[in-house]
Amino acid sequence: MPEKIRFMGSLILLMLLAVLLCPAHAQEDIVRVADRVFEAPMRPPVAFHHDAHNEKAGLDDCSICHHTYENGKKQEGSDSVGMECSECHFSKDRNNAVDLINAYHLQCNGCHASRKAGPVMCGECHRRR
Amino acid sequence: MIHDIYSLLRGPMVWLAFCIFAGGMVFRITAMVGLARQKDRVVFDYMNTRYALRSILHWMVPFAGVNMRKHPVMTLVAFVFHLSVLATPLFLCAHILLVKASWNLSWWFLPDGVADVMTACVVAACGFFLCRRMLLPDVRYLTTASDLFLLALVASPFISGFWACHQWPGYPVVMMAHMLSGEILLAAIPFTRLIHMFFFPFTRGYMGSEFGGVRHAKDW
Ligand code: HEC
Ligand code: HEC
Ligand code: HEC
Ligand code: HEC
Repeated sequence: MPEKIRFMGSLILLMLLAVLLCPAHAQEDIVRVADRVFEAPMRPPVAFHHDAHNEKAGLDDCSICHHTYENGKKQEGSDSVGMECSECHFSKDRNNAVDLINAYHLQCNGCHASRKAGPVMCGECHRRR
Repeated sequence: MIHDIYSLLRGPMVWLAFCIFAGGMVFRITAMVGLARQKDRVVFDYMNTRYALRSILHWMVPFAGVNMRKHPVMTLVAFVFHLSVLATPLFLCAHILLVKASWNLSWWFLPDGVADVMTACVVAACGFFLCRRMLLPDVRYLTTASDLFLLALVASPFISGFWACHQWPGYPVVMMAHMLSGEILLAAIPFTRLIHMFFFPFTRGYMGSEFGGVRHAKDW
């Protein structure tokens, strides 16, 4: 009897754990770029499966995208993981997000164009559906 | 493959189109001034800044002239068309973002919805001009294949741009067709009757000067 209760108990505990962890895990998976600055986006959101993208493109070094700069020089061996691009790349004029948009476009398109892989045209990233 | 074609259309072809456009414009204007100097020197004597500007301004205000009031529909369509055909490409968000990416320059842009309406106006106006050419007997008599070709040349970047922007079927191909047709249109301006874009101030200014300074009359 006690074995059975213990078994049932651990089963319930496991299931609870799974239920608790699953949504948390799903939340961590980034599937699109959604910078908080674009409150009323003009274009459809950009699908970007963060981990799958970086694995497929062979990008192990986080600082390729999450970079840091000092005196206008890119710092090797340090990164800005956990920060949004807009924390550093917002234009002085808060109503005009063109500088931030440009940072995204230069980084994403720049690499795709030079490697001749990945989307480069507006509608390939900002897909309407 | 797609990347190579895209890079070509996005880079060297844009330069080529703008160089032909600017070079062609300078060439056509110098050629015109040279020809006038050779054959019709009085043009320079008659030219009068005040009367020229007066006439140019008058012809840029809708319904300011007698002829415009006589043809209200044509006048309305022509003004909406010319405004849209110039303003939409210059103030389109997507174009400005591309300029920003290339040269770090940007300026005010139209909301996408407004640009959509203006693009539809350009295409509808081209349809109107086409119908006019086909249906009015006296206009039809004067119409040649080159007139229809010119209308197609102007309409195609607007149709393909609208199509691509709304991501209707065939996206990547239509997007590149849009880029190519826009570049062809730009390069063709100096060598077709679209040159009136630059000749307009000269022809209008001359008419205004002659009517104002010589005949003491209005030319509108
Ligand atoms: C191809 C460029 C790129 C690479 C390489 C990259 N990331 Fe990201 N990462 C992004 C983008 C874009 C976002 C989304 C930013 C946003 O939505 O504000 C992001 C978001 C994140 C976030 C969430 C940040 C937040 O505020 O929500 C984390 C955590 C993260 N990345 C970690 C990493 C780590 C760790 C690596 C290295 C293994 C890495 N990234 C490599 C582009 C990249
Ligand atoms: C810690 C602040 C910081 C964060 C976070 C950051 N950047 Fe930057 N970034 C800089 C600085 C500083 C420069 C260099 C100064 C300049 O040219 O504006 C720069 C330069 C750039 C450039 C031009 C040089 C190049 O590498 O091609 C691009 C593009 C860019 N950032 C995109 C991004 C994107 C996209 C993100 C988000 C994934 C991001 N940055 C996150 C600070 C940051
Ligand atoms: C350092 C290079 C690099 C950067 C930076 C980069 N990418 Fe990519 N991306 C690639 C490569 C390489 C591929 C092609 C992968 C493949 O299909 O083999 C790709 C593919 C993609 C795809 C298509 C994925 C698929 O499954 O077909 C999308 C969408 C994409 N990238 C979005 C982005 C976005 C958004 C950014 C900017 C936040 C970005 N990328 C930044 C290298 C990069
Ligand atoms: C490689 C992918 C990619 C391509 C190609 C691309 N963009 Fe983006 N764009 C992005 C990313 C990533 C962001 C940031 C999105 C976010 O945080 O919501 C962005 C942001 C924007 C924004 C600001 C957000 C909004 O919706 O208001 C606009 C506008 C925009 N892009 C327009 C364009 C236009 C126009 C083109 C074609 C000339 C284009 N993009 C091509 C990836 C791309």
